[in-house]
Amino acid sequence: MKRDLSHWLQDMVARYERPLCQYAYRITGNPEHARDAVQDTFLRLCRKGVLPDDHVVPWLFRVCRNRCIDIIRKEQPMEPLTDARAAVLPAPDPSPAEQAGLREAVSLLLQKLAELPARQAEVIRLKFQHHLSYREIAAVTALSESNVGVLIHTGIQTLRRQAAQL
Amino acid sequence: MNPSNPDIQLTAYALGELPEDERRAVEARIQADPALQAAVDEIRALAAQLETELAGEPAPALSDAQRQAILDASAGGGGRLARFPWRRLTGFAAVAAAVTLVFGGVFWTATRSLHGTLLARIDEKGEMAIMEYEEQQLDELLEELSPPDELADLVIPVAPPEVEMGMTPPPDIQEFAAAPVMYEVAELEIASERLSPKPKTMPDVSAPAAHGISGAEAVGSVNGKAFPADGRDRMQRVSASGIVVAGRQDDSWIKLGKAPAHMTVSFQDAPSTLANRAAGRASSLRGYGGGIPACCPPPDGIPPLSNTESYAPIEGNAFKSILEEPLSTFSIDVDTASYANIRRFLQAGQLPPPDAVRIEEMINYFPYTYEPPREGVPFAVHVESAACPWAPSHALVKIGLKGRDLDAESRPPCNLVFLIDVSGSMSSENKLPLVKKSLRLLARQLTENDRVSIVVYASATGLVLPPTPGSQLAAINAAIDNLQAGGSTAGGAGIRLAYDQARETFLKDGNNRVILCTDGDFNVGITDSDELASFIAERAKQGIFLTILGFGMGNYKDDRLETLSNKGNGNYAYIDTFSEARKNLAEQAAGTLFTIAKDVKLQIEFNPARFASYRLVGYENRLLAKEDFNDDQKDAGELGAGHTVTAFYELIPHGVEPPAPAVDPLKYQPQPAAEEEPAAPAIDLENASPEWLTVKLRYKLPDQDTSTKIEVPFTGTFSDFSEASADFRFAAGVAAAGYLMRHDSAVHSIGFPDVVDCTAAATGPDPEGYRREFIDLLKNAAVLDCP
Repeated sequence: MKRDLSHWLQDMVARYERPLCQYAYRITGNPEHARDAVQDTFLRLCRKGVLPDDHVVPWLFRVCRNRCIDIIRKEQPMEPLTDARAAVLPAPDPSPAEQAGLREAVSLLLQKLAELPARQAEVIRLKFQHHLSYREIAAVTALSESNVGVLIHTGIQTLRRQAAQL
Repeated sequence: MNPSNPDIQLTAYALGELPEDERRAVEARIQADPALQAAVDEIRALAAQLETELAGEPAPALSDAQRQAILDASAGGGGRLARFPWRRLTGFAAVAAAVTLVFGGVFWTATRSLHGTLLARIDEKGEMAIMEYEEQQLDELLEELSPPDELADLVIPVAPPEVEMGMTPPPDIQEFAAAPVMYEVAELEIASERLSPKPKTMPDVSAPAAHGISGAEAVGSVNGKAFPADGRDRMQRVSASGIVVAGRQDDSWIKLGKAPAHMTVSFQDAPSTLANRAAGRASSLRGYGGGIPACCPPPDGIPPLSNTESYAPIEGNAFKSILEEPLSTFSIDVDTASYANIRRFLQAGQLPPPDAVRIEEMINYFPYTYEPPREGVPFAVHVESAACPWAPSHALVKIGLKGRDLDAESRPPCNLVFLIDVSGSMSSENKLPLVKKSLRLLARQLTENDRVSIVVYASATGLVLPPTPGSQLAAINAAIDNLQAGGSTAGGAGIRLAYDQARETFLKDGNNRVILCTDGDFNVGITDSDELASFIAERAKQGIFLTILGFGMGNYKDDRLETLSNKGNGNYAYIDTFSEARKNLAEQAAGTLFTIAKDVKLQIEFNPARFASYRLVGYENRLLAKEDFNDDQKDAGELGAGHTVTAFYELIPHGVEPPAPAVDPLKYQPQPAAEEEPAAPAIDLENASPEWLTVKLRYKLPDQDTSTKIEVPFTGTFSDFSEASADFRFAAGVAAAGYLMRHDSAVHSIGFPDVVDCTAAATGPDPEGYRREFIDLLKNAAVLDCP
């Protein structure tokens, strides 16, 4: 049984590490936090045990999302007190110049996506990057299925309009 | 789907999300309307493009150590995280940190919410006891509540407040707003009269409280269970009393319940901790309300999400009239982080944003060759004056402090406990590997009288090196080399183990110190920094001090670490490169390890007979009220062995026009006519003291609670700048460079090339090359400054 779990988990990590990291990074905006959240998610999965195939994806994304929010929240309470300090501390790489270059590398469509309201962008990513159904997205985000439909529709409409203008 | 809106239905159709019957209906509509078909094609094309582009989006990857930890967990079957569920109270603590709350007779319990059964309760005394409550059991319990596949069917989402992820709501609402929220509030039976009255500073809690109520109702109805019908009344009662009841929406439920009245949670300390130190910081904090969280720009070549570097405005000290404000009071600051940041910008070919420039941190980055104090005094005060290089009609006065040096033979023995964060986030090259190199540097300087222990914390907490004499370098280095990153962070047990260890090997006349190495993701379980701070402060009273070494960390935890190290009568250094490690742990190790004076404050009284006005150069965030100087309760900076601290005042003599104020004359108030101005108190220049100013300094010895005062009167000379000492000229050049980078309006007659000339002639011996590096940076700045 343990052997099975181990194999299964290995498979899960191989399949979902990258999608979860992408997702977590979008929420936390910080690769370290994203990594921690994803590791935490898998450790929880390990304790949870083998899940049926159709459950595991929403489970992973949901738990991962919660871990991210937890981490963000954990970080934030001190934040208002620290803004002034934060302003003068060295930030790690990449350097400002490198950042500018990287920013240019992002396609126009993804830039527009990033300008959408965060919730719309999130469900659009879950749909088109991670291929979750409306129903699964609803389970992950704790929104209703029809709410997800509205968010995706609204986001897609905005992107279509912007694409037409270009 | 949502038949009432055909557009939404069409999108769902195009994405293959419609159930069979609806799909057929839409198909029929499309057949009849070619425009609809075009729309569907467009949506699908966009979807395909999104899929392609999003697939290639870069993402961080788990480190090998993290991956291994997961696989180990599955193989071992345990996979248990040593996690502290208490951190879930963090948000609550944040609300409380903004105010002052005292709960009498309140305790926290976690419940199996869906059944309303009480499974765990905590009724030990005091905060620390709560921490130790079988955490794993509770963790499991909370975990059980989390599976979303079960929740998804049960949760009626409460209309989420319109707060977008990635933004930082004010702390009082973020607990409630960051995500779709579900609260459970049950059995709230807090006698409202026991709750403390609403403090004046209480943030507006009405909205969050109302939110909590709707959450309770939603859950109640889903469960078909009658939650207390009067829940609303109780909630209102509670919120009216100024208490915010916060449930966590993700995987835990926390309720306030009626309890044996014996636990007191006091949040009184945290705000004051910072408030003390930052009396003068208030002005620079003005910007934070709408601020973007300053998180670290991501490494690994991942494109940044947005420009995450935000800088709170620094309001430069203005010239003040000596007649109106003859006293200037501030706390010393030996931090140097701003300099490292400026260096990063200039090396990358950019001028730093003006608000990232803290002049005092630039000046204090450099060692100066001040005379050490005479025997029996912890430090010497040196005052020097000359004409101001950027405004020759002004005088510049430098106040330099030099801490007593400790030589290797006479220094007390060290009992050092390294507390090292080895969680997964520490794996990158500028973290744990740099920690190891730094510790090796430090270990090399220890002798057989010293004791070293190493405690690690991550998924597990453990003592990896029992107390070992400093002479056994091989054993120490072996333990350092064996450190590996992996697992998630949980520091609570770690910090207690470290302090226990320090107490076990306590050296009565020695330097007993815990040295925490972390990337700032230091979740100590005690969560709210008050508890941790009081824990550390208590140990500091027992003679165990704290040094914090920050590695490769993102921005915003820094103040927390700095605050903690201050509580622990220690210091805090940020180590981003091996050179910084060398500076802090080898060349200036004594300063890092041995505190020779604490709560060091300076107050300068200016003689109005000699000068008209003054301004303090830098130290904007270290200003103190004049009353704070004699108040021994007011915390201030620590000075390490051999450290130097330098501050400048720019003085304007009588008859010299001060730089024009940037304020227009008032339109709706009568301008006081010149003759109506209060006549300046007559100053008898004949008989006035020739002294320019008096430096008053207060400090406490590390083991004392009352301060000692030193007074140093100073009579300066208006000598030519070129005749001043090399230290004076170099430090003044650094200050001028700082002002130029800040675009200070009072410093416009000179440019970076002048500063290069001025500092290049004042490098002195500069054995470590710090000054030459600075001059090199200035040359970059000079080029970049040209339009």
